[in-house]
Amino acid sequence: MSSHAEASEKFIADAERTDWHDETLWFVREKRDKAAMVLREWEALREHASQIKDHTLANLHQYLIAFEAKAQANGIHVHWAADAAEHNAIVHQIIAEQGSKVLVKSKSMLTEECHLNDYLAKKGIEVVDTDLGERIVQFRKEAPSHIVLPAIHLKKEDVGETFHQHLGTPKGNKDPQFLTEAARQHLRGHFLASEVAITGVNFAIAETGEFVVCTNEGNADMGAHLAKVHIACMGIEKIIPKREDLAVFLRLLARSATGQLITTYSSHFHKPREGQEMHIVLLDNGRTRQLADPKYKNSLKCIRCAACFNTCPVYRRSGGHSYHQPVAGPIGSILAPNIDKKANADLPFASTLCGSCSNVCPVKINIHEQLWFWRQDLMTAGLAPVGKTIGMKLMAFTLAHPAIYRIGGLLLRRFAPLLNSRLNPWYKQREMPVAPKESFQEWYKKR
Amino acid sequence: MRVALFVPCYIDQFYPQVAVASLELLEKLGCEVIVPTDQTCCGQPMANSGFASSTEGCDTNFTNNFAAFDYIVGPSGSCVLHLKEHHPSEKIRNSVYEICEFLTDVLKVTSLSAKFPHRVGLHQSCHGQRGLRLSSMTERNEKPFSKLEDLLGLVEGVEILKPERVDECCGFGGTFCVTEEAVSVKMGQDRIKEHDANAVEYIVGADTSCLMHMEGILRRQGSNIQVKHIVELLNHE
Amino acid sequence: MSAREQILGKMEALEQVNHPGDFKGASEDFDFKAALEAVGARVLTAEALEIEFPGRRRYEKTMDGLSLAEVEVLEIDGEFGVAENGAIWLTEEAMPHRVAPFICQHLVINVSKIVPNMHAAYEELKKPSSSFGLFLAGPSKTADIEQSLVIGAHGARSLTVVIRA
Repeated sequence: MSSHAEASEKFIADAERTDWHDETLWFVREKRDKAAMVLREWEALREHASQIKDHTLANLHQYLIAFEAKAQANGIHVHWAADAAEHNAIVHQIIAEQGSKVLVKSKSMLTEECHLNDYLAKKGIEVVDTDLGERIVQFRKEAPSHIVLPAIHLKKEDVGETFHQHLGTPKGNKDPQFLTEAARQHLRGHFLASEVAITGVNFAIAETGEFVVCTNEGNADMGAHLAKVHIACMGIEKIIPKREDLAVFLRLLARSATGQLITTYSSHFHKPREGQEMHIVLLDNGRTRQLADPKYKNSLKCIRCAACFNTCPVYRRSGGHSYHQPVAGPIGSILAPNIDKKANADLPFASTLCGSCSNVCPVKINIHEQLWFWRQDLMTAGLAPVGKTIGMKLMAFTLAHPAIYRIGGLLLRRFAPLLNSRLNPWYKQREMPVAPKESFQEWYKKR
Repeated sequence: MRVALFVPCYIDQFYPQVAVASLELLEKLGCEVIVPTDQTCCGQPMANSGFASSTEGCDTNFTNNFAAFDYIVGPSGSCVLHLKEHHPSEKIRNSVYEICEFLTDVLKVTSLSAKFPHRVGLHQSCHGQRGLRLSSMTERNEKPFSKLEDLLGLVEGVEILKPERVDECCGFGGTFCVTEEAVSVKMGQDRIKEHDANAVEYIVGADTSCLMHMEGILRRQGSNIQVKHIVELLNHE
Repeated sequence: MSAREQILGKMEALEQVNHPGDFKGASEDFDFKAALEAVGARVLTAEALEIEFPGRRRYEKTMDGLSLAEVEVLEIDGEFGVAENGAIWLTEEAMPHRVAPFICQHLVINVSKIVPNMHAAYEELKKPSSSFGLFLAGPSKTADIEQSLVIGAHGARSLTVVIRA
């Protein structure tokens, strides 16, 4: 598996496409800005949302129990899964009881985290992803590259080609309107036939036991309202205390994600449809570990808007696949190491710590600070690349001893031309700084 | 006012003119400036690389050199931010200032005798901007302000031009500049393209690390654009 | 130990943080019609609606969502609109079936009450709620193909709103 740095280098090799990817996502950031700047209370909303989440996380135990009780009283089956394997087994069990071999699923990053589709495929069950972007990448056997805009890395020509291969649309047709219509017809067939529908959960309300699913396409609802069985998959951190708290989050979510005022549909599922079975699966998969760590607890406030992706200058120029796991970008870089430190040790370093992410985050997650904390934890855990630890200890020693520092500086300046070599990664595309005759301290001594 | 000059390690070794300009400017403004001669580094390169656990010796050396001062002033937003956030001594954390911050908030400078009649592209260094709040940021719904622009406004003849993306990161990022070389350089090239479009003669900012990175790219491109630290303009005759 | 016990058991008491309470100071100066247009809905008068959709009919409550698969135009009554974002609150009671506003080709909603923002909206929703309700803002849409906005994804292709007195 390529590290972020290796994958980014390949991505950037196509400079024109990188510019296109960067500009496309920057445009989404600009749309967010327009929407945010229109509301004079924007910063107050962010603060309020952050405090609601802080309060909820501090009381998650009680809110989860309250949610479970209310949901059950409303006729929803509540399941708990300690990890991805348990989650997948529970979901499979429900499907198997229904006997379905094909089913529809709307966007759920949690199911990506659990690799649910692959798990079910091995059990002979086909999952049809119904979000347009997800269906496109599903056909292409790729992972989504963005949690809100799954196919943002693809041009219309790419989609046209994929639909030509899988849906029989005319070769060369890249008209988004035409292609979307083709997808509508194709997926409509699945909605009408599917007996089981899986959705994600944007927010779950402890006070009422209901959950909310937000989409622009209407795919979650087309699946859920026609299915005999609706399975909603949710991370335990998606709980919010009261119904009126939704006002704050629904005002922030779409504006932060795409600059829209609100998603087309914000569906509040309170009770199952008459005759329908409704299930909700509550997943931990390392979230309690994060909750217990004061450095990383705040990452659980995330409402999956991807504003941090759109603003991140590194994400825009490296693409979601460079992050080699389901949730890319800044938030992904602080969530993934919690799931697998070794595999994701490179991600917190895929950043300049510019802080833009933390400042667009609607719930004020201190992403850039958590990136810094992860760097410490990962290096302390011994996951530094070969030579880095030695180099760092050498640097630390030199900088702790003024006389050695001065000699080292002198040698560095004297032999700087040696660094004008392709072996020096700085020198690949940049000139080295010109070494002055004297350091400042040497000049000052004579002054 | 008694001020200790903090000279970041890479400025000491590669951009001494920035420390010279800082020293001269502070003296012009009536400060008694002491330069501790055994200072080395703030510790940021190790800390940002995940080795904050190894900076004890470096931190102690900093304390030894600077503990006696109430005002420690340095021409580097990222170094000063690191010290404010991570140095173990509370006295040090409360006594460090980035130079623009010091000029605006402590000395409250309202006039300078500086001249620099050139087209200057303003680079917002991230740590100074978002960390030290030297200027407002485009991410937030807030009233615009800029200590950098206020100071540049006191320099005769300066024409400030802003790149299209006024506060996007240049891509230096510490060791990021070599560990993620491709992204780092692309980010720097993109910044430069926008300054180029404004036909600037200089790119100016408050962090030499950003400027060093962009200068490396500019010189590789054979560009005529030069880089200068803002304090060099504020001190320019 | 069940997964439930395992998960809840890992949650030690954390430092208490108070709920900030109700949000105060929200803007109220929004234009519902402008917001409807921004989300891709169009506004018609009752008279213009008759001209646009002359043959439309109301549909009876049904347990079979699939029976609505061929519906061209569906007209339902919304409870209230939200001026800040053009969203309209719809309840299960007001539709023939939960899938109705999604499965039809064209949706028409009548609304008379307008509240300024989402906070006011949830004030309205304090009373005992329906088994299913939604905020619906405009026709279904997607920008998943190279950020080109396409109106009409899986839900209704168009939304026409009549603001009744």
